[in-house]
Amino acid sequence: MEQKWSYLVEEYRTMLYRIAFSNMKNRADAEDAVQEAFLRYMKDEKPILNKEHEKAWLIRTTIHICLDILKSGWYQRTVPWNESYMNDAKNIYLPYQVRDDETLEAVLRLPVHYRNPIYLFYYEDYTIHEIAGILNEKEGTIKTRLRRGREEVKKILTEGRP
Amino acid sequence: MGIQEVQNQTKAPAYQRKAKAGNAEGFQKSLLENLRYRGQEEQEAEAKQAVTDAQSETKQATEKTGMGRMGVTAGIRVNTSAGREAMQTAEVRHMSYEESDHVRIAVTEGYTLKGKREKGTDDRVYVEAKYDDGRLEAYQVETTKVSGQTEHLIERFALETMGEA
Repeated sequence: MEQKWSYLVEEYRTMLYRIAFSNMKNRADAEDAVQEAFLRYMKDEKPILNKEHEKAWLIRTTIHICLDILKSGWYQRTVPWNESYMNDAKNIYLPYQVRDDETLEAVLRLPVHYRNPIYLFYYEDYTIHEIAGILNEKEGTIKTRLRRGREEVKKILTEGRP
Repeated sequence: MGIQEVQNQTKAPAYQRKAKAGNAEGFQKSLLENLRYRGQEEQEAEAKQAVTDAQSETKQATEKTGMGRMGVTAGIRVNTSAGREAMQTAEVRHMSYEESDHVRIAVTEGYTLKGKREKGTDDRVYVEAKYDDGRLEAYQVETTKVSGQTEHLIERFALETMGEA
């Protein structure tokens, strides 16, 4: 059993951390969210159908935990100690080289309903069908959010605001 | 004033007035001329519309993928067949970022490109393109057939992949 958990953590922790970081924008909160997601997975007694289902469950749960933290009263009453989250973001291991830090920073500044589809589509390389499954939305909704999110990214890059 | 205008509009055309005057030949002649002229006008309008449609379609395709960019440059004669044989569509392999030799993420343009140099070949590159409207396309590019000055998105990317690999 312990072997199964360690395999699970090894397999998904980096990817989940990146997704958590894109929402939390600081390392400590992102790590907390990922730990909580693994704990919930271990406690959860619902049957996991296959590997894809397992992965989608973990991503969805991580995003929900992040959103819960962001909505919490404590989080809204406090401000981050270091605003420059891009310094932290540069330490994230990505399986490819991101040369355009400005665009990644603009993506991280998007509202949550655009940020997650865009991050999953471009930086984690999920298809629209997969993202729809992960976020429990229709494919048409994801396409619309990708299109509108792209326009928002352009606005941030040109005008400096969403 | 208003009444005058209405009266003018309802007045019969010149050729009809001629016909009433008993000039049947003149009426027939002017009618035939009118019909011929109208046919020419319609044909010209249709041809203009077809050209406009074709231009806008090419423009859209160029903006989306960079394809066809060489052939539509106004006033400049270019060899549109050069480089076209270098690229062929291929079956999508769903290659991951980890497996790719070169990756381009273009959020503001709405696409991602993944390239990998084919094993056992010196010049072949597999390129996978994913667009934010859901399209997934794959190409095999023979880089030796691609011009170094190509502006074609996929061909340019294939050359970059060769440099990265």
